[in-house]
Amino acid sequence: MNDANGYAAVVLRSMWRRASGRFPLMVIGLWVLVSVVSLFWTPRPLMQTDGYHTWQAPSAEHWLGTDGTGADVFSWLMAGSRTNLIIVILTVLVAAALGLLFVAAMVSRHTVLAGASVVVVDALISIPTVLIALVLAVPLGASVAVIVIACGFGYGLNLARVARPQALLVARSAYVESAMADGASGAYVLFRHIVPNILPVMLVQLSLSAGTAVLAESGLTYLGVGVPSGTPSWGHSLATTVRFISVYPLTVLWPGLVVTVVVVALNLFGDALRDAIDPVTNPALRQGTGVSGKEDGHGR
Amino acid sequence: MRFVLRRLLLFVVALLAISVAVFAMLRILPGDVAAVMAGVNSPPERVAQLRAELGLDRPLPVQYLDWCGALVRGDFGTSMLTGRSITTQVGARAAVTFPLIILGLVIAMLIGIPLGCAAALARGRRSRAIYRLVSIIGGAIPALWGGMLLILLFGRGVGLLGVLPSQGFPTSGWGTPGAALASLALPALSVGVIVGASLMRYTRSALGEFVASGYIEMAMSCGMTRTQAVLHVGLRLAMPQMVSVVGLTFAEMITGVMVIENLFALPGLGTGLVTDVGNRDLIAVQGELFMLAAFFLLIGLVVDLAHRALDPRLKASADGNEVSA
Repeated sequence: MNDANGYAAVVLRSMWRRASGRFPLMVIGLWVLVSVVSLFWTPRPLMQTDGYHTWQAPSAEHWLGTDGTGADVFSWLMAGSRTNLIIVILTVLVAAALGLLFVAAMVSRHTVLAGASVVVVDALISIPTVLIALVLAVPLGASVAVIVIACGFGYGLNLARVARPQALLVARSAYVESAMADGASGAYVLFRHIVPNILPVMLVQLSLSAGTAVLAESGLTYLGVGVPSGTPSWGHSLATTVRFISVYPLTVLWPGLVVTVVVVALNLFGDALRDAIDPVTNPALRQGTGVSGKEDGHGR
Repeated sequence: MRFVLRRLLLFVVALLAISVAVFAMLRILPGDVAAVMAGVNSPPERVAQLRAELGLDRPLPVQYLDWCGALVRGDFGTSMLTGRSITTQVGARAAVTFPLIILGLVIAMLIGIPLGCAAALARGRRSRAIYRLVSIIGGAIPALWGGMLLILLFGRGVGLLGVLPSQGFPTSGWGTPGAALASLALPALSVGVIVGASLMRYTRSALGEFVASGYIEMAMSCGMTRTQAVLHVGLRLAMPQMVSVVGLTFAEMITGVMVIENLFALPGLGTGLVTDVGNRDLIAVQGELFMLAAFFLLIGLVVDLAHRALDPRLKASADGNEVSA
């Protein structure tokens, strides 16, 4: 456990040292902070509408103006950040779990299972996420669950496909062979040998998926199958105001800008993570065990 | 040949799997479709009648086989709401969606491939960083918002350069090709910009693999400049991979296309499917989803076969050893 903490500290520090890593870390940190704060405080109550002051320009009272019901845009965006954070975390968890399950099946020693799962993953991967979401929306209606299940499923498939070559290499390696000969179970091999080896690939892929999930949220919510009306989310803010962009461009600017900045940050985070966890590009990981974090801080 | 047969078999199996998945998801998941379709306050007799009408009271396997039989005959059923056959309905909508997708893809290729090549060729630290940022920001813009910004710029009546229609499709359809094409211009541009960014990323990474390879060095030692070598040799080498990427992008585009169609009020497949889901038009949703999914599987098949045909190296390395090759 301590070992893993040390590793994470070295990786994060390496990312922080470069501008292309610092920016995403700061945006993600701010995102989490705002989400937590929004639970206790927003500048205006969310449901406070005001028919006399709709579509206000930004002012001291309403920092980013008001929308068509006179509600405060800034407060809704703040509250929306927690919904989006929850969606992203759940989606990534579902994708990771499903991805691992698929990977395990694809590299299993059971040849029929392995062959069949490769075929199934290849077939399902060509089905767009939005179609899965639309099917789910028939019985479930508009809900966060639709986004999480559809995206988690789609991204899990992608993850499995990306991680498979590496996992296969490990699964057929001599040390796994010997572990199996010692009577190790499949689950033990999966978590002790395969997961640590494909973890870098998984982390990068998952952070890219997180960005896609934020975009998917805005699209699906606009199509009426995502976050239900009345629940704050960035996609909801965008979808409810976007029709009026030509009349009140300033109001519509903000939610789109927030989504764009966050997605850019998540993509840069994935790239920076790739550089930071690769011993070839990150010398900090090459020095000894990589746990001696303090000294690394001063090196290069 | 073995590979082609295997791939065709995979296609058929996948088609069957999709039909089961679509059917099962629409029937087994919680929520009584008949009750939803009948409305919130309708009496139970009406719900029961509707269920019988839809054949929902029969055992599931019978319903499934019945549906499959109809599919094989090309009968996708009749919409509960409009009373039109699903096939006609889809045909009319596809006449809007397919031109939109193709136009968007052309625009995306015109933007993405040259920019991707330029990004792969760039050597300076700063220019590399700028290309990277352009591709990341282009891919991070929500389709909805990007489309709206374009309307703000070019939309007739509202935009700064109000030249193009931003709402609807001419009722005469392709009978008036000029008007139809004009109404697709802005939506296609919205789709194209977003897809172009991801195409740019793929082009750069596909070319990037070869830029540092011996192929380019070889070509350069034969007298080509670096730019020539990358564009002539590198692009040729990257071609099979690019075909795969364009094919997959095609499938990915549908999400953006659905949003954009709604935004621009185009009566396409996306708008239609969303409306049908909203109306809980079970028969229509079932048929349309199956058709769309089948279409994407078909693209996957064509792309894999094309990839194979274009890349002689794959043929040389053990024919059909790996299904996913």
